[in-house]
Amino acid sequence: MPEVVMPRLSDSMEEGTILRWMVSDGDEVTRGQEIVEIETDKATMAYEADADGPLHIVAEEGATLPIGATIATIGEAAPAGGGDGDGASAGAASPAAEPVAAAPASAPAAAAEAPAADRVPAGVGAATNGAGGNGGGERVKASPIARRLARENDLDLRQLTGSGPAGRIVKADVMSALEGRGATAAPEAPAAAPVAPAPAAAAAPAAAEAPATNKGEITYEDLNRTQQVIARRMAESKATVPEFTVSTDVDMEAARELRAQLKAAAAEGQPVPSFNDMVVKASALALREYPRANGSYKDGRFELHSRVNVGVAVAGDDALIVPTVFDADTRSLGDIARTTRELAASVREGTIRPPELSGGTFTVSNLGMFGVTHFTAVINVPQAAILAVGAIEPRAVVRDGELVARHTMTITLTCDHRILYGADAAQFLARIRELLENPLQLAF
Amino acid sequence: MATTETGIETMTYREALRLALREELERDPSVFLMGEEIGVFQGSYKVTAGLYDDFGPERIMETPISEEGFVGAAVGAAMSGQRPVVEIMTINFILVAMDQVVNHAAKVRYMFGGKVGCPLVIRTPNGAGNQLTAQHSQSFEGWFAHVPGLKVVAPATPADARGLLKSAIRDDDPVLVIENLQLYKAKGEVDTSVDGAVEIGRAAIAREGSDLTMVAHTFAVTRCLHVAEKLQADHGISAEVVDLRSLRPLDMETVAASVAKTNRALCVEEGWASYGVTAEVASRISLACFDDLDAPVGRVGMAEVPMPYAKSLEDAALPHEEKILAAALEVCGA
Repeated sequence: MPEVVMPRLSDSMEEGTILRWMVSDGDEVTRGQEIVEIETDKATMAYEADADGPLHIVAEEGATLPIGATIATIGEAAPAGGGDGDGASAGAASPAAEPVAAAPASAPAAAAEAPAADRVPAGVGAATNGAGGNGGGERVKASPIARRLARENDLDLRQLTGSGPAGRIVKADVMSALEGRGATAAPEAPAAAPVAPAPAAAAAPAAAEAPATNKGEITYEDLNRTQQVIARRMAESKATVPEFTVSTDVDMEAARELRAQLKAAAAEGQPVPSFNDMVVKASALALREYPRANGSYKDGRFELHSRVNVGVAVAGDDALIVPTVFDADTRSLGDIARTTRELAASVREGTIRPPELSGGTFTVSNLGMFGVTHFTAVINVPQAAILAVGAIEPRAVVRDGELVARHTMTITLTCDHRILYGADAAQFLARIRELLENPLQLAF
Repeated sequence: MATTETGIETMTYREALRLALREELERDPSVFLMGEEIGVFQGSYKVTAGLYDDFGPERIMETPISEEGFVGAAVGAAMSGQRPVVEIMTINFILVAMDQVVNHAAKVRYMFGGKVGCPLVIRTPNGAGNQLTAQHSQSFEGWFAHVPGLKVVAPATPADARGLLKSAIRDDDPVLVIENLQLYKAKGEVDTSVDGAVEIGRAAIAREGSDLTMVAHTFAVTRCLHVAEKLQADHGISAEVVDLRSLRPLDMETVAASVAKTNRALCVEEGWASYGVTAEVASRISLACFDDLDAPVGRVGMAEVPMPYAKSLEDAALPHEEKILAAALEVCGA
């Protein structure tokens, strides 16, 4: 009976969350049919069946599982159990209660195996994530007996801090946690029926009883997976990258003129390139000339990339998402405009796919639409630099000794000094400015 | 030997072996001994002392220095219904007889379709610690425990030495009895009022404990018992010591039951750990006890070098108690 396992949907994916089953337990599915929505660290994706037959769900909605963990089985010999079937398939194979076969007979003491459905939340951590020491995205490091005890007592290992070598959660940690919550189940009696899954609040002992503070009442919000990734990556960036910033003011009069002409020339429904699209294109052309700005400092080496892929930071639903414009240096401005519109729409609709979120070699972040004149961005590691783009506004500047009003935009480059040095960064930024001030060059 | 009223005597490991040989020689006329200098000289380690005088040259048979020859002769005698008990002076000298042990003794029953057995016993000590250097300080029992068709027992106490040797002699298949140079002088209680045969394939709990299972055989059991006392006294760790007693067949039930209780295991042997008895036991623990383990299974053997001669280096190479203690603490995460 083929097992459906948690797929690897992106390079950085370590685990995924079952968001929604698109079929019911026991339904007949066919190869290629979308059966489940899985949330990864980057996106939500539908996943297809790779075999025909009745589907038996192993992992409940909300369960977070590592890559390779069984989430369902497809096949005729679905084990027996209580049926909530719809009648159509009820005769053939009833939905199962105990999907996982018993352990080999040679295993002595560990006789009684819990049904897989019970294992899922406890063994590898339920969807909830408290403030535990093992929180967020990483595989929980725990000894087998610690996992077994957690499973038998419906304890989320993520809530615990390991006292073993390298932070491994050991039996003693689980035992003290069980004592702490006043568990009555004796750990040496594995036959005891597993308790019903505790609600998330009960499982997070610290958060439940928030003491009154001078900040008033405290409410806690769990991070979704994207927010977990953002928190981790941003902290990693600030903690590991020796960064510096360089800024320059760009005269945008010519760019404004070009955009007005493009707008006038655009056919009905044809997207007009935005100033940000011009920044993407200008950056891409400059990146082609400054390979280190397009590279990464990684494991003591410079990693230089043959493709110029510019990530464009997009504010999503309570999150920040950076879809990638691949080969931005060879795309036309119109092509970039179409691509960024489509990517932004995908982000807003939550249908963006991991391949569209990875592979970036540089990032452009624009807060100009909010009137921000300049800001510094946090490097999207392992990229070498990120460009922060401010608002275009008329400013008083001196031209040929005269004080004049010119539309000006401040751009700020944050650089990883391990690969991009001051003078190089300055020249790279100056090249971007030069391209934007002579925007016809963006046509090539 | 010191006798008490109940029939329990305190005797050395060597005396217990001698007692078993004497009892079996008396019980069964098909039992006879073969080996180098086991007669007039009374045995290099004096295990056979006195037997030549009592049983004579036909049953206490002196052999030339030719292990391949006399082990081969013993295989033939066993195939024709005798119960030879061969002494190999130390396990180091069995290498020249490997073909007889592995390709003949172990294969006879199989090659003759079960119609002919080979009730042969080979007694031989392993171990190091007497500055006998690289060629005479080895522990090869794992090599034999590797071979289907052989049984391998390895007693750690005088009572087990007597009881397992008796069972080996009565067994209808070839059995290696692994003795130990350091243990020959070790004393223990033996109940001489009973037959005392010990079933092959049964491990024993040498010391009860709740926090850590130490698995060992022969002299390593003694080392582990000392370490267990230290663990208790200095670290408050209660260690259980499982004496394997039989290496093939291996009693995993006893080992697994202990590990299920303690959740932690350390395997110790006198020889090199790589591909050794500890490798086998650790592998089986990880299979049988996966959901019971709280830490990776630890292993201690001698340093992976030919045994040096210099006393200081020999001491450094042995699986001495400091090494076992350190490994035990590591397994316990202490």
